[in-house]
Amino acid sequence: MKKIVEIKNLVHEYARRDSEGNVAEIVRAVDSVNLEIEPGAFVAVLGANGSGKSTLAKHLNALLMPTEGTVLIDGKNTEDREKLLDIRKTAGMVFQNPDNQIVANVVEEDVAFGPENLGVPTEKLEKRVHDSLKAVDLFEERKKSPNRLSGGQKQRAAIAGILAMRSKCIILDEATAMLDPVGRKQVLQAVLELNREEHITVILITHFMEEVIEADQIFVMKQGEVVLSGTPRQVFSRKELLEECGLTLPDAARIAWGLKLKGLSVRTDVLSMQELEEELNGIGVSHGGV
Amino acid sequence: MIRDITIGQYYRTESVIHRLDPRVKIVGTLCYMISLFTFQSFAGYLAAIPFFAFVLLLSRVPFSYTVKGLKPVFVMLILTSVLNLFWTEGTVIVRLGFVVVTWEGLKRMIVISLRLILLIIGASVLTLTTTPNQLTDGLEHLFSPLKKVHVPVHEIAMMMSIALRFIPILIEETGRIMKAQTARGADFETGSVLRRIKNMFPIFIPLFVSAVHRAGDLADAMDARCYHGGAGRTKLHPLHYTGRDSAAFFVLLLYLLLLYFVKRYIPY
Repeated sequence: MKKIVEIKNLVHEYARRDSEGNVAEIVRAVDSVNLEIEPGAFVAVLGANGSGKSTLAKHLNALLMPTEGTVLIDGKNTEDREKLLDIRKTAGMVFQNPDNQIVANVVEEDVAFGPENLGVPTEKLEKRVHDSLKAVDLFEERKKSPNRLSGGQKQRAAIAGILAMRSKCIILDEATAMLDPVGRKQVLQAVLELNREEHITVILITHFMEEVIEADQIFVMKQGEVVLSGTPRQVFSRKELLEECGLTLPDAARIAWGLKLKGLSVRTDVLSMQELEEELNGIGVSHGGV
Repeated sequence: MIRDITIGQYYRTESVIHRLDPRVKIVGTLCYMISLFTFQSFAGYLAAIPFFAFVLLLSRVPFSYTVKGLKPVFVMLILTSVLNLFWTEGTVIVRLGFVVVTWEGLKRMIVISLRLILLIIGASVLTLTTTPNQLTDGLEHLFSPLKKVHVPVHEIAMMMSIALRFIPILIEETGRIMKAQTARGADFETGSVLRRIKNMFPIFIPLFVSAVHRAGDLADAMDARCYHGGAGRTKLHPLHYTGRDSAAFFVLLLYLLLLYFVKRYIPY
Protein backbone atom coordinates (compact mmCIF):
# COMPACT_ATOMS: atom_id res chain seq x y z
CA MET A 1 0.00 0.00 0.00
CA LYS A 2 1.18 3.51 -0.80
CA LYS A 3 2.43 5.42 2.23
CA ILE A 4 0.62 8.66 3.04
CA VAL A 5 3.81 10.27 4.35
CA GLU A 6 7.30 9.26 3.36
CA ILE A 7 10.24 11.25 4.65
CA LYS A 8 13.73 10.39 3.48
CA ASN A 9 16.84 11.88 5.10
CA LEU A 10 15.11 15.17 5.79
CA VAL A 11 17.39 17.99 6.90
CA HIS A 12 16.19 21.50 7.58
CA GLU A 13 18.63 24.27 8.35
CA TYR A 14 18.01 27.92 8.94
CA ALA A 15 20.38 30.75 9.53
CA ARG A 16 20.25 32.73 12.75
CA ARG A 17 21.29 36.31 12.07
CA ASP A 18 22.80 38.86 14.41
CA SER A 19 21.60 42.47 14.62
CA GLU A 20 23.59 43.50 11.53
CA GLY A 21 21.98 40.79 9.45
CA ASN A 22 25.08 38.62 9.15
CA VAL A 23 24.68 34.90 9.56
CA ALA A 24 25.70 34.17 13.14
CA GLU A 25 25.16 30.43 13.04
CA ILE A 26 23.42 27.73 11.06
CA VAL A 27 20.83 25.87 13.09
CA ARG A 28 19.84 22.33 12.13
CA ALA A 29 16.21 22.21 13.21
CA VAL A 30 15.58 18.83 11.62
CA ASP A 31 18.46 16.41 11.22
CA SER A 32 18.34 13.34 8.94
CA VAL A 33 14.83 12.24 9.78
CA ASN A 34 13.43 9.14 8.11
CA LEU A 35 9.86 8.12 8.68
CA GLU A 36 6.93 6.49 6.96
CA ILE A 37 3.27 6.70 7.86
CA GLU A 38 0.61 4.27 6.67
CA PRO A 39 -2.76 5.63 5.51
CA GLY A 40 -5.32 5.57 8.33
CA ALA A 41 -2.73 5.49 11.09
CA PHE A 42 -2.78 7.56 14.26
CA VAL A 43 0.78 8.76 14.73
CA ALA A 44 2.20 11.02 17.40
CA VAL A 45 5.37 13.08 17.26
CA LEU A 46 6.60 13.87 20.75
CA GLY A 47 9.24 16.37 21.66
CA ALA A 48 10.07 19.21 24.01
CA ASN A 49 10.24 22.85 22.88
CA GLY A 50 12.90 23.33 20.24
CA SER A 51 13.11 19.64 19.35
CA GLY A 52 12.21 20.41 15.73
CA LYS A 53 8.78 18.83 15.78
CA SER A 54 6.98 21.91 14.47
CA THR A 55 9.55 22.41 11.74
CA LEU A 56 8.95 18.82 10.73
CA ALA A 57 5.18 19.46 10.67
CA LYS A 58 5.57 22.44 8.37
CA HIS A 59 7.37 20.21 5.87
CA LEU A 60 4.36 17.93 5.67
CA ASN A 61 2.25 20.79 4.37
CA ALA A 62 4.90 22.26 2.05
CA LEU A 63 5.07 25.41 4.17
CA LEU A 64 8.80 24.73 4.44
CA MET A 65 11.08 23.14 1.86
CA PRO A 66 13.78 20.60 2.76
CA THR A 67 17.39 21.75 2.85
CA GLU A 68 18.31 18.13 2.07
CA GLY A 69 16.28 14.97 1.53
CA THR A 70 12.73 14.56 0.29
CA VAL A 71 9.21 14.62 1.68
CA LEU A 72 6.53 12.69 -0.21
CA ILE A 73 2.88 13.22 0.68
CA ASP A 74 0.66 10.54 -0.87
CA GLY A 75 3.49 9.94 -3.34
CA LYS A 76 3.86 13.61 -4.31
CA ASN A 77 7.10 15.47 -3.71
CA THR A 78 6.58 18.68 -1.70
CA GLU A 79 9.16 20.46 -3.83
CA ASP A 80 7.01 20.06 -6.92
CA ARG A 81 5.31 23.47 -7.21
CA GLU A 82 2.65 22.09 -9.56
CA LYS A 83 1.42 19.65 -6.92
CA LEU A 84 1.41 22.27 -4.15
CA LEU A 85 -2.36 22.66 -3.84
CA ASP A 86 -2.83 18.93 -4.12
CA ILE A 87 -0.39 18.32 -1.26
CA ARG A 88 -1.99 20.95 0.94
CA LYS A 89 -5.38 19.50 0.17
CA THR A 90 -4.20 16.00 1.11
CA ALA A 91 -2.55 16.99 4.36
CA GLY A 92 -4.52 19.61 6.27
CA MET A 93 -2.96 21.38 9.19
CA VAL A 94 -4.35 22.65 12.50
CA PHE A 95 -2.09 25.22 14.14
CA GLN A 96 -1.38 26.07 17.74
CA ASN A 97 -3.13 29.41 18.15
CA PRO A 98 -6.90 29.00 17.68
CA ASP A 99 -7.49 32.69 16.90
CA ASN A 100 -4.78 33.09 14.30
CA GLN A 101 -6.03 30.44 11.90
CA ILE A 102 -9.65 31.46 11.49
CA VAL A 103 -10.09 33.62 8.43
CA ALA A 104 -13.80 34.35 8.08
CA ASN A 105 -16.21 36.17 10.36
CA VAL A 106 -18.81 33.39 10.50
CA VAL A 107 -18.05 29.78 11.52
CA GLU A 108 -19.60 28.14 8.45
CA GLU A 109 -17.84 30.54 6.10
CA ASP A 110 -14.54 29.74 7.73
CA VAL A 111 -15.15 26.02 7.26
CA ALA A 112 -15.89 26.75 3.61
CA PHE A 113 -12.65 28.72 3.14
CA GLY A 114 -10.49 25.74 2.09
CA PRO A 115 -12.90 24.22 -0.44
CA GLU A 116 -13.70 27.72 -1.76
CA ASN A 117 -10.02 28.13 -2.56
CA LEU A 118 -10.07 24.79 -4.33
CA GLY A 119 -12.97 25.97 -6.47
CA VAL A 120 -15.57 23.50 -5.22
CA PRO A 121 -18.94 24.50 -6.74
CA THR A 122 -21.42 26.22 -4.40
CA GLU A 123 -23.99 23.38 -4.46
CA LYS A 124 -21.40 20.89 -3.21
CA LEU A 125 -19.92 23.36 -0.73
CA GLU A 126 -23.08 23.45 1.36
CA LYS A 127 -23.12 19.70 1.85
CA ARG A 128 -19.42 19.60 2.67
CA VAL A 129 -19.73 22.36 5.26
CA HIS A 130 -22.80 20.71 6.74
CA ASP A 131 -21.13 17.28 7.00
CA SER A 132 -17.87 18.65 8.38
CA LEU A 133 -19.57 20.71 11.08
CA LYS A 134 -21.68 17.69 12.07
CA ALA A 135 -18.55 15.53 12.29
CA VAL A 136 -16.95 17.81 14.88
CA ASP A 137 -20.26 18.53 16.63
CA LEU A 138 -20.34 22.24 15.85
CA PHE A 139 -23.40 22.36 13.61
CA GLU A 140 -25.40 24.40 16.13
CA GLU A 141 -22.73 27.11 16.15
CA ARG A 142 -22.48 27.48 12.37
CA LYS A 143 -23.92 31.02 12.20
CA LYS A 144 -21.90 32.36 15.12
CA SER A 145 -18.91 34.65 15.02
CA PRO A 146 -15.70 32.67 15.71
CA ASN A 147 -14.99 35.16 18.51
CA ARG A 148 -17.91 33.69 20.44
CA LEU A 149 -16.48 30.15 20.43
CA SER A 150 -14.33 28.60 23.16
CA GLY A 151 -10.75 27.59 22.38
CA GLY A 152 -11.71 23.94 21.94
CA GLN A 153 -14.58 24.89 19.64
CA LYS A 154 -12.28 27.08 17.55
CA GLN A 155 -9.85 24.21 17.08
CA ARG A 156 -12.71 21.90 16.13
CA ALA A 157 -13.86 24.52 13.63
CA ALA A 158 -10.34 24.44 12.17
CA ILE A 159 -10.58 20.63 11.94
CA ALA A 160 -13.94 20.98 10.19
CA GLY A 161 -12.26 23.35 7.73
CA ILE A 162 -9.81 20.58 6.85
CA LEU A 163 -12.51 17.91 6.61
CA ALA A 164 -14.36 20.17 4.18
CA MET A 165 -11.33 19.96 1.86
CA ARG A 166 -11.74 16.16 2.03
CA SER A 167 -8.18 15.80 3.32
CA LYS A 168 -6.80 12.30 3.84
CA CYS A 169 -4.53 13.39 6.62
CA ILE A 170 -4.81 15.88 9.50
CA ILE A 171 -1.69 17.29 11.12
CA LEU A 172 -2.22 18.83 14.55
CA ASP A 173 0.76 21.06 15.23
CA GLU A 174 0.51 21.48 19.02
CA ALA A 175 -3.14 22.25 18.43
CA THR A 176 -4.02 21.51 22.05
CA ALA A 177 -1.21 23.49 23.68
CA MET A 178 -3.25 26.66 24.27
CA LEU A 179 -6.44 24.91 25.39
CA ASP A 180 -7.90 24.18 28.80
CA PRO A 181 -8.26 20.50 29.79
CA VAL A 182 -11.89 20.35 28.60
CA GLY A 183 -11.07 21.85 25.21
CA ARG A 184 -8.06 19.54 24.86
CA LYS A 185 -10.22 16.50 25.52
CA GLN A 186 -12.83 17.62 22.98
CA VAL A 187 -10.26 18.14 20.26
CA LEU A 188 -8.54 14.80 20.91
CA GLN A 189 -11.89 13.03 21.00
CA ALA A 190 -12.85 14.61 17.68
CA VAL A 191 -9.66 13.54 15.89
CA LEU A 192 -9.77 10.08 17.43
CA GLU A 193 -13.30 9.55 16.11
CA LEU A 194 -12.29 10.78 12.67
CA ASN A 195 -9.38 8.37 12.71
CA ARG A 196 -11.46 5.38 13.82
CA GLU A 197 -14.59 6.06 11.78
CA GLU A 198 -13.44 7.89 8.65
CA HIS A 199 -9.95 6.33 8.55
CA ILE A 200 -8.33 9.73 8.29
CA THR A 201 -4.61 9.67 9.03
CA VAL A 202 -3.86 11.74 12.13
CA ILE A 203 -0.43 13.13 12.92
CA LEU A 204 -0.50 14.56 16.41
CA ILE A 205 2.41 16.78 17.33
CA THR A 206 2.63 17.52 21.02
CA HIS A 207 4.69 17.59 24.16
CA PHE A 208 1.93 16.15 26.37
CA MET A 209 2.55 12.44 26.84
CA GLU A 210 -1.02 11.86 28.08
CA GLU A 211 -2.28 12.68 24.59
CA VAL A 212 -0.36 9.98 22.77
CA ILE A 213 -1.69 6.93 24.65
CA GLU A 214 -4.12 6.12 21.83
CA ALA A 215 -1.52 6.44 19.08
CA ASP A 216 -0.55 3.49 16.88
CA GLN A 217 2.98 4.72 16.69
CA ILE A 218 5.06 7.39 18.41
CA PHE A 219 8.16 9.17 17.19
CA VAL A 220 10.17 10.99 19.85
CA MET A 221 12.30 13.89 18.71
CA LYS A 222 15.31 15.48 20.36
CA GLN A 223 17.41 18.25 18.82
CA GLY A 224 16.02 17.63 15.37
CA GLU A 225 16.53 13.86 15.36
CA VAL A 226 14.09 11.02 15.87
CA VAL A 227 15.66 9.25 18.84
CA LEU A 228 12.95 6.75 19.65
CA SER A 229 9.98 5.23 17.91
CA GLY A 230 7.49 2.51 18.66
CA THR A 231 4.12 1.82 20.21
CA PRO A 232 3.11 3.82 23.30
CA ARG A 233 3.98 0.81 25.48
CA GLN A 234 7.46 0.53 24.00
CA VAL A 235 8.07 4.25 24.28
CA PHE A 236 6.76 4.61 27.83
CA SER A 237 9.15 1.97 29.11
CA ARG A 238 12.16 4.11 28.13
CA LYS A 239 11.95 6.47 31.07
CA GLU A 240 15.56 7.69 31.12
CA LEU A 241 15.63 8.48 27.42
CA LEU A 242 12.30 10.33 27.62
CA GLU A 243 13.54 12.40 30.53
CA GLU A 244 16.67 13.24 28.57
CA CYS A 245 14.35 14.52 25.84
CA GLY A 246 12.67 16.82 28.35
CA LEU A 247 9.44 14.83 28.47
CA THR A 248 7.51 13.67 31.54
CA LEU A 249 5.72 10.34 31.73
CA PRO A 250 1.95 10.30 32.32
CA ASP A 251 0.88 9.94 35.95
CA ALA A 252 0.11 6.20 35.77
CA ALA A 253 3.53 5.33 34.39
CA ARG A 254 5.25 7.66 36.86
CA ILE A 255 3.52 5.99 39.81
CA ALA A 256 4.46 2.57 38.45
CA TRP A 257 8.10 3.64 38.21
CA GLY A 258 7.95 5.01 41.75
CA LEU A 259 6.54 1.75 43.06
CA LYS A 260 9.17 -0.23 41.23
CA LEU A 261 11.92 1.87 42.80
CA LYS A 262 10.41 1.09 46.19
CA GLY A 263 10.87 -2.58 45.45
CA LEU A 264 7.46 -3.58 44.12
CA SER A 265 7.70 -5.75 41.00
CA VAL A 266 5.15 -3.95 38.79
CA ARG A 267 5.17 -3.50 35.03
CA THR A 268 6.22 0.05 34.17
CA ASP A 269 4.71 0.23 30.70
CA VAL A 270 1.18 0.91 31.94
CA LEU A 271 -0.72 3.43 29.85
CA SER A 272 -3.59 4.46 32.10
CA MET A 273 -4.61 4.56 35.74
CA GLN A 274 -7.05 1.74 35.04
CA GLU A 275 -4.27 -0.46 33.74
CA LEU A 276 -2.12 0.39 36.73
CA GLU A 277 -4.96 -0.60 39.04
CA GLU A 278 -5.38 -3.91 37.26
CA GLU A 279 -1.66 -4.52 37.42
CA LEU A 280 -1.60 -3.82 41.15
CA ASN A 281 -4.61 -6.05 41.73
CA GLY A 282 -2.87 -8.73 39.74
CA ILE A 283 0.13 -8.78 42.03
CA GLY A 284 -1.98 -8.78 45.18
CA VAL A 285 -2.11 -5.09 46.04
CA SER A 286 -5.65 -3.82 46.47
CA HIS A 287 -7.31 -0.55 47.44
CA GLY A 288 -6.94 -1.55 51.09
CA GLY A 289 -3.21 -0.79 51.12
CA VAL A 290 0.10 -2.39 50.40
CA MET B 1 -17.83 43.98 27.59
CA ILE B 2 -14.92 44.92 25.40
CA ARG B 3 -15.46 41.92 23.11
CA ASP B 4 -18.96 43.11 22.25
CA ILE B 5 -17.61 46.05 20.29
CA THR B 6 -18.38 45.63 16.61
CA ILE B 7 -17.61 47.83 13.69
CA GLY B 8 -20.64 49.44 12.16
CA GLN B 9 -23.87 49.05 14.10
CA TYR B 10 -25.79 46.16 12.63
CA TYR B 11 -29.36 45.94 13.93
CA ARG B 12 -30.37 42.29 13.86
CA THR B 13 -33.94 41.76 12.71
CA GLU B 14 -35.86 40.24 9.81
CA SER B 15 -36.97 42.67 7.13
CA VAL B 16 -37.16 43.12 3.38
CA ILE B 17 -34.38 45.69 3.55
CA HIS B 18 -32.15 43.31 5.53
CA ARG B 19 -32.63 40.62 2.91
CA LEU B 20 -31.86 42.88 -0.05
CA ASP B 21 -28.67 42.21 -1.95
CA PRO B 22 -25.90 44.38 -0.45
CA ARG B 23 -25.04 45.68 -3.92
CA VAL B 24 -28.56 47.09 -4.28
CA LYS B 25 -28.32 48.72 -0.88
CA ILE B 26 -24.94 50.30 -1.60
CA VAL B 27 -26.00 51.65 -4.99
CA GLY B 28 -29.35 52.77 -3.58
CA THR B 29 -27.76 54.62 -0.68
CA LEU B 30 -25.30 56.28 -3.01
CA CYS B 31 -28.09 57.44 -5.37
CA TYR B 32 -30.11 58.71 -2.43
CA MET B 33 -27.15 60.61 -1.03
CA ILE B 34 -26.34 62.22 -4.37
CA SER B 35 -29.99 63.08 -4.91
CA LEU B 36 -29.98 65.13 -1.69
CA PHE B 37 -27.48 67.50 -3.27
CA THR B 38 -29.51 68.13 -6.41
CA PHE B 39 -31.94 70.62 -4.90
CA GLN B 40 -31.76 73.89 -2.95
CA SER B 41 -35.48 74.19 -2.18
CA PHE B 42 -37.94 72.85 0.38
CA ALA B 43 -39.81 71.09 -2.37
CA GLY B 44 -37.17 68.37 -2.80
CA TYR B 45 -37.88 67.18 0.71
CA LEU B 46 -41.43 66.36 -0.31
CA ALA B 47 -39.82 63.48 -2.19
CA ALA B 48 -36.78 62.74 -0.02
CA ILE B 49 -38.46 62.56 3.39
CA PRO B 50 -41.28 60.21 2.35
CA PHE B 51 -38.76 57.98 0.53
CA PHE B 52 -36.54 57.79 3.59
CA ALA B 53 -39.53 57.15 5.86
CA PHE B 54 -40.75 54.40 3.55
CA VAL B 55 -37.38 52.61 3.56
CA LEU B 56 -37.01 53.01 7.32
CA LEU B 57 -40.49 51.60 7.91
CA LEU B 58 -39.72 48.59 5.73
CA SER B 59 -36.38 48.01 7.48
CA ARG B 60 -38.09 47.74 10.91
CA VAL B 61 -35.15 49.58 12.47
CA PRO B 62 -36.37 51.95 15.21
CA PHE B 63 -36.01 55.63 14.24
CA SER B 64 -34.04 56.29 17.44
CA TYR B 65 -31.26 53.97 16.18
CA THR B 66 -30.73 56.00 13.02
CA VAL B 67 -30.67 59.22 15.05
CA LYS B 68 -27.78 57.86 17.14
CA GLY B 69 -25.61 58.32 14.06
CA LEU B 70 -26.10 62.08 14.37
CA LYS B 71 -24.28 62.34 17.69
CA PRO B 72 -20.74 62.72 16.30
CA VAL B 73 -21.79 65.44 13.83
CA PHE B 74 -24.00 67.33 16.24
CA VAL B 75 -21.47 70.15 16.76
CA MET B 76 -20.97 70.51 13.02
CA LEU B 77 -24.73 70.64 12.55
CA ILE B 78 -25.10 73.48 15.07
CA LEU B 79 -22.14 75.34 13.61
CA THR B 80 -23.38 75.25 10.00
CA SER B 81 -26.87 76.21 11.16
CA VAL B 82 -25.59 79.25 13.04
CA LEU B 83 -23.32 80.33 10.20
CA ASN B 84 -26.12 80.07 7.66
CA LEU B 85 -28.66 81.77 9.87
CA PHE B 86 -26.59 84.84 10.71
CA TRP B 87 -24.34 85.30 7.72
CA THR B 88 -26.74 85.21 4.77
CA GLU B 89 -27.70 88.44 3.05
CA GLY B 90 -31.33 89.20 2.14
CA THR B 91 -34.59 90.44 3.58
CA VAL B 92 -34.05 91.23 7.24
CA ILE B 93 -36.45 89.78 9.81
CA VAL B 94 -34.70 90.58 13.06
CA ARG B 95 -31.81 92.92 13.78
CA LEU B 96 -30.18 92.84 17.21
CA GLY B 97 -27.08 94.99 17.19
CA PHE B 98 -24.67 93.30 14.80
CA VAL B 99 -26.74 90.09 14.68
CA VAL B 100 -28.91 90.00 11.59
CA VAL B 101 -31.37 87.25 10.70
CA THR B 102 -32.72 87.14 7.16
CA TRP B 103 -35.45 85.11 5.45
CA GLU B 104 -32.90 83.68 3.08
CA GLY B 105 -30.68 82.72 5.99
CA LEU B 106 -33.52 80.96 7.76
CA LYS B 107 -34.44 79.06 4.63
CA ARG B 108 -30.86 78.07 3.94
CA MET B 109 -30.35 76.90 7.50
CA ILE B 110 -33.35 74.62 7.30
CA VAL B 111 -32.47 73.26 3.85
CA ILE B 112 -28.84 72.59 4.69
CA SER B 113 -29.35 71.07 8.13
CA LEU B 114 -32.16 68.87 6.85
CA ARG B 115 -29.86 67.72 4.07
CA LEU B 116 -27.11 66.87 6.54
CA ILE B 117 -29.51 65.00 8.81
CA LEU B 118 -31.06 62.99 5.99
CA LEU B 119 -27.62 62.22 4.61
CA ILE B 120 -26.35 60.74 7.85
CA ILE B 121 -29.44 58.88 8.99
CA GLY B 122 -29.85 57.59 5.43
CA ALA B 123 -26.34 56.18 5.41
CA SER B 124 -26.87 54.65 8.83
CA VAL B 125 -29.83 52.66 7.46
CA LEU B 126 -27.29 50.94 5.17
CA THR B 127 -24.97 49.95 8.00
CA LEU B 128 -27.85 49.07 10.33
CA THR B 129 -29.33 46.60 7.88
CA THR B 130 -26.17 45.12 6.33
CA THR B 131 -23.53 43.04 8.13
CA PRO B 132 -19.91 44.12 7.58
CA ASN B 133 -19.37 40.85 5.70
CA GLN B 134 -22.17 41.56 3.29
CA LEU B 135 -20.82 45.07 2.82
CA THR B 136 -17.35 43.85 1.87
CA ASP B 137 -18.88 41.21 -0.37
CA GLY B 138 -21.05 43.81 -2.08
CA LEU B 139 -18.15 46.21 -2.51
CA GLU B 140 -15.98 43.45 -3.97
CA HIS B 141 -18.62 42.74 -6.61
CA LEU B 142 -19.33 46.38 -7.37
CA PHE B 143 -15.66 47.20 -7.85
CA SER B 144 -14.82 44.01 -9.74
CA PRO B 145 -14.74 45.81 -13.13
CA LEU B 146 -11.61 47.54 -11.79
CA LYS B 147 -9.83 44.16 -11.96
CA LYS B 148 -9.45 44.87 -15.67
CA VAL B 149 -7.11 47.75 -14.86
CA HIS B 150 -5.21 45.55 -12.35
CA VAL B 151 -6.71 46.89 -9.17
CA PRO B 152 -6.47 43.99 -6.67
CA VAL B 153 -10.17 44.16 -5.76
CA HIS B 154 -10.42 40.67 -4.29
CA GLU B 155 -7.32 41.15 -2.19
CA ILE B 156 -8.54 44.47 -0.82
CA ALA B 157 -11.89 42.92 0.09
CA MET B 158 -10.10 39.98 1.74
CA MET B 159 -7.98 42.41 3.75
CA MET B 160 -11.07 44.30 4.84
CA SER B 161 -12.77 41.16 6.00
CA ILE B 162 -9.67 39.94 7.85
CA ALA B 163 -9.35 43.34 9.50
CA LEU B 164 -12.97 43.05 10.64
CA ARG B 165 -12.27 39.60 12.04
CA PHE B 166 -9.21 40.73 14.01
CA ILE B 167 -10.50 44.04 15.39
CA PRO B 168 -12.27 42.44 18.39
CA ILE B 169 -9.24 40.20 19.03
CA LEU B 170 -6.87 43.15 19.03
CA ILE B 171 -9.20 45.19 21.23
CA GLU B 172 -9.25 42.35 23.73
CA GLU B 173 -5.48 42.14 23.57
CA THR B 174 -5.16 45.90 24.17
CA GLY B 175 -7.21 45.45 27.33
CA ARG B 176 -4.95 42.64 28.44
CA ILE B 177 -1.76 44.60 27.78
CA MET B 178 -3.17 47.64 29.59
CA LYS B 179 -3.89 45.52 32.64
CA ALA B 180 -0.43 43.98 32.50
CA GLN B 181 1.23 47.40 32.25
CA THR B 182 -0.98 48.83 35.00
CA ALA B 183 0.07 45.94 37.22
CA ARG B 184 3.67 47.00 36.58
CA GLY B 185 2.92 50.55 37.65
CA ALA B 186 2.03 52.22 34.36
CA ASP B 187 -0.37 55.15 34.58
CA PHE B 188 -2.77 55.94 31.74
CA GLU B 189 -5.21 58.16 33.60
CA THR B 190 -3.35 61.22 34.90
CA GLY B 191 -0.91 63.83 33.64
CA SER B 192 -0.93 66.25 30.72
CA VAL B 193 -2.11 65.20 27.26
CA LEU B 194 1.48 64.86 26.08
CA ARG B 195 2.36 62.72 29.10
CA ARG B 196 -0.65 60.48 28.48
CA ILE B 197 0.25 60.02 24.85
CA LYS B 198 3.79 59.08 25.89
CA ASN B 199 2.36 56.58 28.35
CA MET B 200 0.54 54.85 25.52
CA PHE B 201 3.78 53.57 23.98
CA PRO B 202 4.07 50.59 26.36
CA ILE B 203 0.66 49.52 25.02
CA PHE B 204 1.20 50.05 21.33
CA ILE B 205 4.59 48.42 21.00
CA PRO B 206 3.57 44.98 22.39
CA LEU B 207 0.28 45.26 20.50
CA PHE B 208 2.12 45.91 17.28
CA VAL B 209 4.56 43.04 17.83
CA SER B 210 1.72 40.67 18.55
CA ALA B 211 -0.24 41.84 15.50
CA VAL B 212 2.76 41.09 13.28
CA HIS B 213 3.03 37.62 14.84
CA ARG B 214 -0.64 36.96 14.27
CA ALA B 215 -0.33 38.09 10.66
CA GLY B 216 2.49 35.59 10.11
CA ASP B 217 0.48 32.77 11.66
CA LEU B 218 -2.59 33.66 9.65
CA ALA B 219 -0.61 33.75 6.42
CA ASP B 220 0.64 30.21 7.14
CA ALA B 221 -2.88 29.05 7.97
CA MET B 222 -4.24 30.55 4.74
CA ASP B 223 -1.45 28.95 2.72
CA ALA B 224 -2.15 25.62 4.39
CA ARG B 225 -5.78 25.90 3.35
CA CYS B 226 -4.83 26.35 -0.30
CA TYR B 227 -5.44 30.10 -0.54
CA HIS B 228 -3.95 31.40 -3.76
CA GLY B 229 -5.70 34.69 -4.43
CA GLY B 230 -9.10 35.28 -5.94
CA ALA B 231 -8.64 33.28 -9.15
CA GLY B 232 -10.81 30.17 -9.31
CA ARG B 233 -12.40 30.77 -5.94
CA THR B 234 -16.01 29.81 -5.34
CA LYS B 235 -18.31 31.07 -2.60
CA LEU B 236 -20.47 29.36 -0.01
CA HIS B 237 -23.06 32.12 -0.21
CA PRO B 238 -22.69 33.83 -3.57
CA LEU B 239 -24.66 37.03 -4.19
CA HIS B 240 -27.65 36.68 -6.53
CA TYR B 241 -30.13 39.29 -7.61
CA THR B 242 -33.73 38.28 -7.01
CA GLY B 243 -37.14 39.76 -7.78
CA ARG B 244 -36.89 41.65 -4.53
CA ASP B 245 -33.82 43.47 -5.76
CA SER B 246 -35.43 44.47 -9.06
CA ALA B 247 -38.40 45.80 -7.08
CA ALA B 248 -35.98 47.84 -4.96
CA PHE B 249 -34.41 49.36 -8.06
CA PHE B 250 -37.90 50.18 -9.33
CA VAL B 251 -38.76 51.98 -6.06
CA LEU B 252 -35.51 53.91 -6.31
CA LEU B 253 -36.39 54.96 -9.85
CA LEU B 254 -39.85 56.08 -8.69
CA TYR B 255 -38.22 58.20 -6.03
CA LEU B 256 -35.86 59.86 -8.50
CA LEU B 257 -38.76 60.58 -10.86
CA LEU B 258 -40.83 62.00 -8.03
CA LEU B 259 -37.93 64.19 -7.04
CA TYR B 260 -37.58 65.45 -10.60
CA PHE B 261 -41.25 66.41 -10.91
CA VAL B 262 -41.47 67.95 -7.48
CA LYS B 263 -38.47 70.14 -8.24
CA ARG B 264 -39.92 71.13 -11.56
CA TYR B 265 -43.46 72.00 -10.53
CA ILE B 266 -43.16 73.24 -6.94
CA PRO B 267 -41.08 76.40 -6.83
CA TYR B 268 -40.38 76.75 -3.08
